[in-house]
Amino acid sequence: MKTNTSQNSLLTQSPIPMVIVAGDGQILEYSDGFYRFFECNKKKRGDALHLFLGELSTAFRHNLKQKDDFIETIEVVSVIGKTRWIRVNAYAIKGNGGCFQLSFDDVTQQKIQYELGKQAQQIARVGSWTVNLIKNTVTWSNVTKEIHELPLDYEPDLETGINFYKEGDSRNRIIEVVSECIETGKAFDEELVLITAKGNERWVRSIGEANRVNGKTIGFSGVFQDIDETKRQQLRYEVLNDRMRVAIGSANIGIWDFDIVNNNLIWNKKMYDLYGVREEDFNGVFEAWEATVHPEDKERANEEVQQAIEGEKDFNTEFRILKGDGSTAFIHAEAKVFYNEDGQPCRMIGANTDVSRIKRQDQRLRQLLNVTEKQNQRLLDFTNIVSHNLRSNSSNISMLAGMLNSELTVDQQKQFIEMIQTSSENLDETIVQLNETVKIQATSHGDLDPIPLSTVFSKVLQSVNALVLDASATIETDLAQNLRVLAVKPYLSSVFLNLLTNSLKYRHPSRPLKIKVKAQASSNQTIVTFTDNGIGIDLQKYGTKVFGMYKTFHNNKDAKGIGLFITKNHMEAMNGCIEVESVVDKGSTFRLYFMNNH
Amino acid sequence: MEANRVFLVDDDLIFRTAATVLVGKELPTYKAHHFENGLEAYTKLMDLADTPEELPKLMLLDINMPVMNGWELLEELRSAPSQIRDLVQIHILTSSISPEDMNLSETYEFINGYITKPLTKQDLDKLKAGLP
Repeated sequence: MKTNTSQNSLLTQSPIPMVIVAGDGQILEYSDGFYRFFECNKKKRGDALHLFLGELSTAFRHNLKQKDDFIETIEVVSVIGKTRWIRVNAYAIKGNGGCFQLSFDDVTQQKIQYELGKQAQQIARVGSWTVNLIKNTVTWSNVTKEIHELPLDYEPDLETGINFYKEGDSRNRIIEVVSECIETGKAFDEELVLITAKGNERWVRSIGEANRVNGKTIGFSGVFQDIDETKRQQLRYEVLNDRMRVAIGSANIGIWDFDIVNNNLIWNKKMYDLYGVREEDFNGVFEAWEATVHPEDKERANEEVQQAIEGEKDFNTEFRILKGDGSTAFIHAEAKVFYNEDGQPCRMIGANTDVSRIKRQDQRLRQLLNVTEKQNQRLLDFTNIVSHNLRSNSSNISMLAGMLNSELTVDQQKQFIEMIQTSSENLDETIVQLNETVKIQATSHGDLDPIPLSTVFSKVLQSVNALVLDASATIETDLAQNLRVLAVKPYLSSVFLNLLTNSLKYRHPSRPLKIKVKAQASSNQTIVTFTDNGIGIDLQKYGTKVFGMYKTFHNNKDAKGIGLFITKNHMEAMNGCIEVESVVDKGSTFRLYFMNNH
Repeated sequence: MEANRVFLVDDDLIFRTAATVLVGKELPTYKAHHFENGLEAYTKLMDLADTPEELPKLMLLDINMPVMNGWELLEELRSAPSQIRDLVQIHILTSSISPEDMNLSETYEFINGYITKPLTKQDLDKLKAGLP
């Protein structure tokens, strides 16, 4: 008993809530901590255990009658109406006629968390299951049963469990991974299709882990999740993504992704095709792209990228690139800039398409439009001739003829007949010139041949030799012997002849005429410059009219005003053009542009 | 008293010659003065602006001429002394049958007529009716 007493006094002084109870629930001893724990004082409550723990369950009372330790968690409503969960740890006191030492823990907090966890599982539709291969039992949690749309009292076994998986891929796969799990203990994590008890198809995620003893699988357990909604969304997204990929693939769109901060540029496969660059030759920085852009477009394209990054302008542009094989392509590019949380641009994603074919067609159309516009201008010039030159001569003839009938002196009659003759000759000449113009218009670019410039010029010069001598003009030529331009020989002669005779006609009265002719050839065109020191043309006044039909600008009786018009037509028929610069009293410079190839 | 003047402004010698004969017949009290382009006529008109009685009663003006064409002369006359516009009856006389030229002539409120060549006796009869 001495031992007992010392033990008892030790218990009495303990701050830990403890009691010694008899098998009928009568409290024999209690610690200091006990009444504190139950927030009451001894006198008011009495000595029976149920006064503190509420009505004891049958199982609890049964356990108190046995001689084994046990643990029980009990829901208790306190004096102030608060619900507590209390774990009772019961230790049977050996050799002391059926007494137990009980200690108490407040596990309310853990219990709440557990309940929350269970709720969360319920909400997330995560169930659990275990398989015991030794007892050959299978247990499923309620959620697992719900996912299968089974009643909660359903008793599963391994085979029926597997048979819920949809026949085909899903069932084959689960059999495969479960077998492997049994044989080698390998865990699995699969997304599979289930047919529920009610016949609905449902995506589930099944995760399993083996429980192994001595290298043998004695069972396994895992979790089971309803992922139907997410999986279906994912599948829909994949279908969309595939569709998008097909669309991008067939539309020849290259996609790029530029990390602005780290200067890292990623291209999809199509981009490499578009740019004709090999993946291994591309170092993935902005400069690698920049290097492919056509030199003439580089500055602008670069600037547009910067403007997009700085948010000044959307990136939606066109530029040319030099492809790996040296050819040029037109790229249409659009991109979007993305910003980080601080509002700083961090990423740029864009799409490129090759619009070369459209662009070339567009250019052809423009060329055609250009030709049409020129033809239209010529047509207008034609109307002008008909209106002015033909009519001025014909109206003179009709006026003179009409007056012949009236009373005229013999001298006047003679003069009138002469004037009628002159007018009809002029009319004839005008018609010849018109015919010439029509012929020029009909020239096609296919009729062009490489013609040696210097040979043609020498011949023309010979033909006007007398005039040159008469004017004591000096003519300096700088035309390389073998230089050829694409031309129609008679037109080229006519152009030179016209420029030469113009210079002779409009030479300055107070100084000897000097003419300089030189040619400058570049890769695709040759420019012939024809300079004189004549009286010049007031271009401010006449500007665009210089090459029009029947414009004469000098008080010169020989001027018929058709020369430069014909010259311009000749040049354009040869796919070239003509320009003029002039200073009154100083001289004129005509520049002839010839194409070097078709 | 000096004869009334008519200015023929046209670069076409044949026309001027024939027109002179025609004017001589239809307007016997008028004497024709020839100008080859707008500038020559303009210079003369400006010279005469201070002596209005010597200004021509009539000017037949061609459009297409070198140096200064008919339109350019009319443009200059807009800012010239008003007696030139008031005292000289200006008739455009052109071989152009383009409606554009006809329309353009209507923008000059001080001109008195627009005649398409050839110039006929009937044209001059009409002109005569309008002369003071």
